[in-house]
Amino acid sequence: MNKPTPAAGAPAPLNRDIKTIVNAGLKRRHAAERHFRWYGLIAISLGLAFVVLMFANIIGKGYPAFWQTYIQVPIQFDAAVLDPDGKRDPQTLANADYAALVRAGMRQLFPNAQGRLELRALYGLVSSDAAHELHRRVLQTPALIGAEQELWLLASANVDTLVKGNIDRALDESERPIKDNQIEWVNKLQAAGKIEKQFNAILFSNGDSREPEQAGIRGALMGSFYTLLVTFLLSFPIGAATAVYLEEFAPKNRWTDLIEVNINNLAAVPSIVFGLLGLAVFINFFGLPRSAPLVGGLVLSLMTLPVIIIAGRAALTSVPPSIREAALGMGASKLQMVGHHVLPLAMPGMLTGSIIGMARALGESAPLLMIGMVAFIVDVPKSFMDPSTVLPVQIYLWSDLPERAFVERTSAAIMVLLAFMILMNGLAILLRKRFERRW
Amino acid sequence: MSTTAIETKVALDQALNLDTAPRKQSSVEVTDYNNRQTVGNITVDNPKMVCRGVNVYYGEKHAIKNVGLDIGANEVIAFIGPSGCGKSTFLRCLNRMNDTIPICRVTGQIRLDSDDIYDKSIDVVQLRARVGMVFQKPNPFPKSIYENVAYGPRIHGMVNDKAELDDLVRASLERAGLIKEVDKRMGEPGTSLSGGQQQRLCIARAIAVNPEVILMDEPCSALDPIATAKIEELIDELRENYTIIIVTHSMQQAARVSQRTAYFHLGDLIEVGDTDQIFTNPKHKLTEDYITGRFG
Amino acid sequence: MAISQDAHTVKQFDVLLANLRNLVLEMGGLVEEQIKHAIQALDDEDLIAAREVISRDQIINGLQVKADEDCVSIIALRQPLGSDLRLIMSLSKIVTDLERIGDEAEKIARMTVKTYDGVSSPPSAKLLRDVVPMARLAQDMLHGCLDALARLDVEKAVEVAQGDDELDQEFQSALRRLITYMMEDPRTIGQAINVIFIVKALERIGDHSKNIAEYIIYLVKGKDVRHVSMDVLVQDALEE
Repeated sequence: MNKPTPAAGAPAPLNRDIKTIVNAGLKRRHAAERHFRWYGLIAISLGLAFVVLMFANIIGKGYPAFWQTYIQVPIQFDAAVLDPDGKRDPQTLANADYAALVRAGMRQLFPNAQGRLELRALYGLVSSDAAHELHRRVLQTPALIGAEQELWLLASANVDTLVKGNIDRALDESERPIKDNQIEWVNKLQAAGKIEKQFNAILFSNGDSREPEQAGIRGALMGSFYTLLVTFLLSFPIGAATAVYLEEFAPKNRWTDLIEVNINNLAAVPSIVFGLLGLAVFINFFGLPRSAPLVGGLVLSLMTLPVIIIAGRAALTSVPPSIREAALGMGASKLQMVGHHVLPLAMPGMLTGSIIGMARALGESAPLLMIGMVAFIVDVPKSFMDPSTVLPVQIYLWSDLPERAFVERTSAAIMVLLAFMILMNGLAILLRKRFERRW
Repeated sequence: MSTTAIETKVALDQALNLDTAPRKQSSVEVTDYNNRQTVGNITVDNPKMVCRGVNVYYGEKHAIKNVGLDIGANEVIAFIGPSGCGKSTFLRCLNRMNDTIPICRVTGQIRLDSDDIYDKSIDVVQLRARVGMVFQKPNPFPKSIYENVAYGPRIHGMVNDKAELDDLVRASLERAGLIKEVDKRMGEPGTSLSGGQQQRLCIARAIAVNPEVILMDEPCSALDPIATAKIEELIDELRENYTIIIVTHSMQQAARVSQRTAYFHLGDLIEVGDTDQIFTNPKHKLTEDYITGRFG
Repeated sequence: MAISQDAHTVKQFDVLLANLRNLVLEMGGLVEEQIKHAIQALDDEDLIAAREVISRDQIINGLQVKADEDCVSIIALRQPLGSDLRLIMSLSKIVTDLERIGDEAEKIARMTVKTYDGVSSPPSAKLLRDVVPMARLAQDMLHGCLDALARLDVEKAVEVAQGDDELDQEFQSALRRLITYMMEDPRTIGQAINVIFIVKALERIGDHSKNIAEYIIYLVKGKDVRHVSMDVLVQDALEE
């Protein structure tokens, strides 16, 4: 208190002026800062360049898949072929030989085609789906029977690839999937304006198929939808409840510490391990069907739960303690405090975490391979128990197929998957921005 | 009779019977720093709360050491002392806010009227409805002004219908001196108000459940002098109906608003007495050193 | 609570308080000098010295204004509490009493000038015989309380307060004697009245000194001992 103060603790006076000392090192300091900025800029540019490259590659490859080649064919809805009895019996109509109508139409286009091989090549110009298309039209408007119409029929994958310019015409005939005479026909059709590209609705309405022009992602989309629905319905309530219990109610002791550490570790477990677990427990032990979205959802729930719990706890901790105190000080019980104040404030954060977890689950394929969701499934699933596949697995399946037309479909499916990812992340950002920090 | 009238009468009485008038209790002066026995009269004639032998432990730390103190009905008592002296801890014992801290343990007796508040038969929810609290940082709920005030009556089921609730909310805001400022904006969020208004909203929220005692933990530490003056005026008005215990870092504030002052030091209640006595003629050397700025 | 001698956390506050106390003590010293010179001038019939006393009163008035300004500024800027507050309040009141004592000294000097103006015949020695012993008593009291203020000595202050009774008795007996002289020889009435003013001034100095002593007791003990009997004062002041 009464110690002599004047300059006792002050440092010994420096010989040099502080200005010169600082100036001496100033250049080096600024240079270091500048360099650091450059490194950062380079790193970011490099990263951005790769992203742009990836997007350019995928979009460039996938874009044509959204367009599909159609051939205009005159179709004679011959009553004798379709409905010999004239009773319009659906059974008879279903069993009728529509392909014959298509073949007749093709012959009408090119009457010069002769011989079995040449005719087969001619018929190969249109997809086998063309017959189904005719069937659908007849069922829709039975009045068509007996009429004649110029119809746009789906071209085969090879014609489609040729029209999109992905087949090198200079190659030897034996080395390309399309014959010389087929190319000639296509040229003729193009000259006559009987070939055009239309929006590829099939991609979004069909399930998987061995024929590229008939393959769509609807089955995979619905599979993903059902799987994610199961995942969300299971993991969000359980995850949120766990987070609330651990954060607000559980006593802080060795057991809760242990649980916390384990949850954090679970978040880092490779996803394929969850797939093995699902295979062992849900399918082998509980006997649930393979390839079902229900099982997929269960497995993805296991994977997403730690993420949701961790995000939920972080959201709960970020609610200021003053709000809790205010509620308790008013005489609210603990449950009232959590229910009325803490949870509503933490909800945007919890939802954001969940959506990010969901987005991760949407992109997951490895654990689903283990539970059989990798099967070739043509039908669009209609329930949680139907066998199905999911988008990333569909991509994986298509990427394996040799046909050129599947390459562009793979990229198109990737684009759809990315669009959903961006949509979900955007939703998360929107939620965060909208409800963030209202206190 | 108003306060000033009483003071005048007392002054007159004293003037007329110069030597025979009862003199203020002159207790022993303490000049020894190490003597930690409470100086001054801890009892009052008309106690609202009675604390005896209160000890608080945070784990191993002995945060409050054997404190005995009466809180008089309809008085404003201020707790002062350096940071970490235990004044807030002791305040939080009075509505059991310390219960939320797992390692905190409270022994001794604290009575509200005739109920031991740490008795098993007393539910903490009921206690906190009777002993309201206003915090250091204004902490309105992130809801509308109306909802903030209506919250307490709602959770305790104090009202039967909307009209009754409306009346209660308006009356509480009126008593908190806020009704003129928020009359037209009941639906706006409480957080849209200024700091001082938010704190008065918190007071309105606390008095909406009609508590008997209001605890205030440094209610003005985040406010500017004008807002502070409004709160102090409000405290003075509320004294008529409530018993108010205020923890404050500002000795001037303690001097302005309270009738009695208690000085805490490292968990001990060092001295308690009438506010004017504490600030003009403290009996304990620690109190003297603290209020004159000689501390440490 | 005894006044604390420890340093404040804010050292500037200590400096301000010390400066104020020194100012008051300086003023006290000056007032003491004034009384001494006034009495000396009366004794020596020295009109020049008496006029000097009268003119020096301005200095004391100036010091009073300065001390009051300092008190106000410390209250405004430092919000003193506890013993600091009592110190400021006591010093502010002590300053007032000191200034009054200065006025009494000036009054004695004026009476000296009036008595020895050469117009009327000077008073006989017997009329003035009470002045010097009373002056000694009054000076002792003032000196005692300045001493007590400098050392914050309650016992000394009590001693001063107790001394006032003796001075009052002296004043009463001086009054009685002067009345006797006036009745014996009415020609002395004019001079005797002048002397009465002088002894009255000395008696007032005692009263002011007692006030100062009481302020010192309040300053140190925090107990207001004004307007109580001497027994209570002694008991309060010396109680531990």
